[in-house]
Amino acid sequence: MTQGRLHPLSVAIRDIADIFGRMGFGIAMGPELEDEWYNFTALNMLPDHPARDMQDTFWTKEQPARVPRTQTSNVQIRYMEEQIKKGIAPPYRIVVPGKVFRNEATDMTHEAQFFQCEGLAVGPIGTITLAHLKGTIEAFCKEYFGENARVRFRPSYFPFVEPGVEVDVWFEAPGKESRWLEVMGAGMVHPQVLKNAGVDPEQYQGFAFGGGLERLVMVKYNVPDVRLFYSGDTRFVYGFDETPK
Amino acid sequence: MATSFKTSRTWLQKYFSEELPSGEVLADTLTFHVVEVDGVENKGDDQILDTQILPDRAGYLLSHRGIASEVAAALNIPMSSDPLRTPVPEFPTTDKLTVDVDTSYVLRHLGAIMRGVRVGPSPEWLKSALESVGQRSINNIVDATNYVMLNIGQPMHAFDLAKISNDAGTTRITIRRAAAGEAVTVLTGETYTLTVDMFVIADALSGQALDIAGLKGGAASGITEATTDLFVSVGTYDGTTIRKMSQALKLWTDASQRYQNKISPELGAYGMRDILSLIKDVAGADVEGVVDVYPTPPMPISVSVSLSRVNGILGTSYVSDDMTNALNRLSLPFEASTISSGELVVTITPPFERGDIRIPEDVADEVGRILGYENVLPLELPAVAGTPDQRAYCGIERIKDFLVSRGFTEISTQSFAPEGEILLANPLQADRPALRAGLRENMQDALARAVQQAPLVLGPDSMLKLFELGTVFPASGEHLSLVLGYKGLIGKESKTVLEEVVDALLEAFPACGLARPETIDTNVCELSLKDVNLESLGEGYLPAKLALSEYHPFSIYPFALRDVAVWTPEGTEESEVSLAIAGAAGDLLARMDRFDRFEKDGRISYAFRLVFQSSERTLSDADIDPVMQAVTDALNAKEDWEVR
Repeated sequence: MTQGRLHPLSVAIRDIADIFGRMGFGIAMGPELEDEWYNFTALNMLPDHPARDMQDTFWTKEQPARVPRTQTSNVQIRYMEEQIKKGIAPPYRIVVPGKVFRNEATDMTHEAQFFQCEGLAVGPIGTITLAHLKGTIEAFCKEYFGENARVRFRPSYFPFVEPGVEVDVWFEAPGKESRWLEVMGAGMVHPQVLKNAGVDPEQYQGFAFGGGLERLVMVKYNVPDVRLFYSGDTRFVYGFDETPK
Repeated sequence: MATSFKTSRTWLQKYFSEELPSGEVLADTLTFHVVEVDGVENKGDDQILDTQILPDRAGYLLSHRGIASEVAAALNIPMSSDPLRTPVPEFPTTDKLTVDVDTSYVLRHLGAIMRGVRVGPSPEWLKSALESVGQRSINNIVDATNYVMLNIGQPMHAFDLAKISNDAGTTRITIRRAAAGEAVTVLTGETYTLTVDMFVIADALSGQALDIAGLKGGAASGITEATTDLFVSVGTYDGTTIRKMSQALKLWTDASQRYQNKISPELGAYGMRDILSLIKDVAGADVEGVVDVYPTPPMPISVSVSLSRVNGILGTSYVSDDMTNALNRLSLPFEASTISSGELVVTITPPFERGDIRIPEDVADEVGRILGYENVLPLELPAVAGTPDQRAYCGIERIKDFLVSRGFTEISTQSFAPEGEILLANPLQADRPALRAGLRENMQDALARAVQQAPLVLGPDSMLKLFELGTVFPASGEHLSLVLGYKGLIGKESKTVLEEVVDALLEAFPACGLARPETIDTNVCELSLKDVNLESLGEGYLPAKLALSEYHPFSIYPFALRDVAVWTPEGTEESEVSLAIAGAAGDLLARMDRFDRFEKDGRISYAFRLVFQSSERTLSDADIDPVMQAVTDALNAKEDWEVR
């Protein structure tokens, strides 16, 4: 019987799971429809934070309203909370691939729904540092994009990390101009976020990162338009030749 | 989330006696030490940097002074003067002005009366400074207020004093809640109707609202050429309320951006000092006096952090001098001490404008970015015991692999649906106001489209089989769901294709909570994965790994089909035929599939289906007929070959 095809996002998630799995990361999942606490407040986005504005976030008509999650970081909180409840102290290492939603106009590079991949590593204070964050992302990029991939950080800001950085990757591909690409946001988990999840920030610290999966796939395989991913169009899935590796 | 702030290199240069590097070098310096610069535009002798200010630093970086302080720190060059470190002189007082404020909204308000202004065009330097960053020059008074705001970050507004009532020469101002339905016509002519959640600066004597406090000045009290006396208002307002007011009125201004990012009320006095001095310079006015209403000045905070803590966050091995140098470059006042272990501990008291420095991690960021994040060298994570838990994910992938091995192709569709049990308050598309409660509708839609594309995508395969595995949102709670889709492409559709695959699924994965759906339609069947124990399903399973090729984009134009069959001598390989066809058919041939082969009387017949498509236009017979003629001729030209 002729084999079917796997969607390129599934292929990418398998690559990610495999590479991070070898660095000790499990895979966690969580709800796509989330309440305000896990999506915002616990992540240090207090009620007057601009990211809560209607132009960025979808809200349900329920009372109280919930949000199709705006990032996979809700799973950071849920995962740590669950471990603490089970009496399991850090180290924690997870990646969280999942769908997220943003209330923004769609075009070739923006979708109102997309996949994000979150990463979280927490350990005793001083053991999981910004340097480990750089090493971990660089190790991933070398495997995923190629041996010449390098990572650089630029100062940035996300309420749930401090320090926060933008991560650029040096991307080289035959026949293409080598360049720096912005691939994700990252940083050291904000102590308040650890506290909100029940982890003592006096004893533990960690890093977190998160970026759009489609973008990785678009860069790696030269996909021109992000809207293809959720088109349900078989021509898109068959636009790649799949071979076992 | 970022706010664009146009930064002029010429303007920045006023802060330095040393010649600054080019705009491009400044852009790079800022991008790697503090704030992303999204481009540099050449404007005459000037260069304009598009800095993208994020909320944490917006309290000081939405100003040329703020950017200059970061240039000084990053390049390690001193500022020749810093207006925020130059003490504010005591203002003269006056009894010709009273200001009464609602303290739930007003954190501080400085009001001044100035007399004898000459309103007119701004001097050239002021005009060009504003125009360089995209602001229109209006008159010397308005321009002065805009200049001070863009220079140090404090919004302010000047009113024509003659247009405000007075009580025997005394002007009485109140900053109060708006009345429901109260209307204010702003400087640009639009009229806004306010609610009780909004605030106005009002003439206390007439009761008239003069402007929307913190957002925009009113038309009625605006500066004209006839203006001689001014009421100058320098306020600090509650950022959260301002943000809500802006949203409700859909009115975002340079002032509201700064207030919603919570500039310090301390800044107000510097703003008043600078505007009084600038108006005096450019319009010749005299200051009658200033009224400062400052209900609760914030207490300065301090943060203590040790060198090892900073290194422990960054993963660096900086020494004491590295840290103190970084703090000195940033002009952050600190006290250094040495604890018993001999280690350096610093206690930083950030200046008022640096409300972003609160915890040790903030200090680590300051040190890290100034010394350069390129100096944070990648480290490998320490090993952890045990196998990471990827079981639930592996369970999902196991189901996918099972289906792919049975010829099913995975699709992904959107979660917004025309109908559902959970509705969105603010849907992106009016025709998709709900979260999908099931996957069937999208599958039906995908099948219908896939049938149209099948000859191009699948070739002469006799059936189309698709699946999607995704989250659905019934009112009872979200869960994963699996939908299978099938269409027969040739002949009669089999009613049992989906039934058979469901049976196979249940047989392959018994006792994991997978239940047979009540109905299995011929074309679509949805299975809830709500009760499936994905962990046990994924235990020990390794998902198949696949390599993908570069993506081949598909044409948006329709394709056309043609069949060709040819007799060939005994022993002719299929590839010989396909190569001959491909050679003759040219670029328009998108795909070909052999769909028939038989032997008779020592000859072999091969039949191929050819799919033609252009990436530029819809093909017509006039395009394809000559190609088919060329194919026929090419095949007939071979010895003993004959197109049937």
